[in-house]
Amino acid sequence: MIAFLTLLEREIKRFLKVIIQTLISPIISSFLYLLVFGVSLGASVTLKNGMPYLSFLIPGLMAMGLINNAFQNSSSSVVTSKFSGDLEDMRVVPITNSQIIFAMGLGGVIRGFLVAAVTGLVGTVFHYYKLGEPLYVQHPFWILFFILVGGLTFSFIGIFIAFIARTFDQLSAFSTFILLPLTYLGGVFVSIETLHPTWQAISKFNPLFYLINGFRYAIIGSSDVQLGTSIFVCLMGVVVTYIMARIALVKGSFSRW
Amino acid sequence: MLHNHFPLEVSHLVKTYALKNGVRVEAVRDVSFYMKPGEVFGLLGPNGAGKTSIISIITTLEKATSGSARVFGEDVDSNPYFTKKQMGVVHQEIVNTGFFTVNEILKFQSGYYGIRNNNERIDYLLEKLGLKDHREKNVKQLSGGMRRRLMIAKALVHSPKVLLLDEPTAGVDVHLRESLWQFVTELKSEGISILLTTHYLEEAEKLCERVGIMNKGKIVFMGSTQEAIAQYSTKKVYIEFNSGEAAVYTETASAGLVEILAHHKIQFTDIKNIKIEEGRLEEAFSKMVNT
Ligand SMILES: Nc1ncnc2c1ncn2[C@@H]1O[C@H](COP(=O)(O)OP(=O)(O)O)[C@@H](O)[C@H]1O
Ligand SMILES: [Mg+2]
Repeated sequence: MIAFLTLLEREIKRFLKVIIQTLISPIISSFLYLLVFGVSLGASVTLKNGMPYLSFLIPGLMAMGLINNAFQNSSSSVVTSKFSGDLEDMRVVPITNSQIIFAMGLGGVIRGFLVAAVTGLVGTVFHYYKLGEPLYVQHPFWILFFILVGGLTFSFIGIFIAFIARTFDQLSAFSTFILLPLTYLGGVFVSIETLHPTWQAISKFNPLFYLINGFRYAIIGSSDVQLGTSIFVCLMGVVVTYIMARIALVKGSFSRW
Repeated sequence: MLHNHFPLEVSHLVKTYALKNGVRVEAVRDVSFYMKPGEVFGLLGPNGAGKTSIISIITTLEKATSGSARVFGEDVDSNPYFTKKQMGVVHQEIVNTGFFTVNEILKFQSGYYGIRNNNERIDYLLEKLGLKDHREKNVKQLSGGMRRRLMIAKALVHSPKVLLLDEPTAGVDVHLRESLWQFVTELKSEGISILLTTHYLEEAEKLCERVGIMNKGKIVFMGSTQEAIAQYSTKKVYIEFNSGEAAVYTETASAGLVEILAHHKIQFTDIKNIKIEEGRLEEAFSKMVNT
């Protein structure tokens, strides 16, 4: 237990030491998205059910912040440790694979949570200013659930990719060619109702779609997906990605690059 | 002493790396040795002999192709939690963690071993290793020698019973080398069993009671350091006679002086001066690995 808490502390301290890169910069980009899409462009848009676009966008951006930052945190932690030779130490000390995975996972959850929370706060300020009322969280329990489960899932994916990656390039290839498109197509900016039926069908195979919509449901009380389906898919996601991370630790290399 | 209670025992260890291009590197080929409690055991060999591969297997960084490694009788693969707690490891390559200070690194390291308040031990090690004034420095601000000492401190935070030192003095200046030797001697006197790999023979000669000499993945000699010297090296006897003549005799290192003089039919009374140059491990070593 002490070993686990120590590694978690290390993970948190690590991202706090490079706070500009790990917290400030993602928060600024959320802020810009809100400003450009939510306030300027989206001001005139009202969705079918009469919902203002800004209310729709905020939970999407929060989910995106969580996903990106959880992934970035664990993957860059592993990759920089590989680079410095630090990761070898993880193999030498008496810490179990599941302790490593959960400590790194929670490190990512905490960073993702901070980015999502600040995005939500900034969002609600915009919301108040634009629409005259703050954005109330409809289901606080479920938002914490999706932050925890979604954050763990993407941290686990980060661990998996970073362990099997042989170069920085392979890691960024995953972000650019897989994670980024899935996030954008997962309903951060648009409701799938507005999409062509073919895209609607394809979106249903995108696991991120369920997380993003779970977020949206928890915050504004409605989304493109039933809450139960989101919960189920997200729980499946965390289990599958945990297994992937575990396999990566067992089969992958702790040796330095 | 029970056979299975050696601090470290490696038996029939084989490690073959399969490279991507299909080439197989037989890094370790059927190596067996054990360490006695409280001894400094030297694993010697030229670069590429397989020393680091053996250490990597003991610490579970690499998996053995076959054979086993045990720490106090427990297999490193089946009971890693136990074996890792007994061991401290100083890797050959220097670790360059950029994010943290010396103090933080040692605190984290203690935590990984389940030790929460370890300030006393950390202070002691920082003092011993001359890092006290650098504890708030980031690793990036440390010199190579300081980083090496930090790695040693890290390996000792949990007071291990077995210490694995993989070429601790490679690329280290003379002054630091001597102080590390001094430190190793102190650790030994505390009863810690030390596995030292090195290709500095002077180091092995100074510190190790027993050595295993490796070449191309195989142990080519195993025994006491003195035996290695006696069997494989020569000593030189320089004699200056009363008559003004001089002679040099090259003898096996184990030969006694009386024996040598008798053999060459030299009378004590004819000798003005005599100088003996003892055999060195250096010579024994090069005989064994250059064949
Ligand atoms: N990870 C690896 N993959 C492939 N070959 C390796 C690897 N590590 C070591 N080797 C090879 O195994 C042999 C032994 O290396 P090593 O154990 O590092 O020797 P030493 O520590 O005695 O210098 C060398 O030929 C080396 O190139
Ligand atoms: Mg080596």
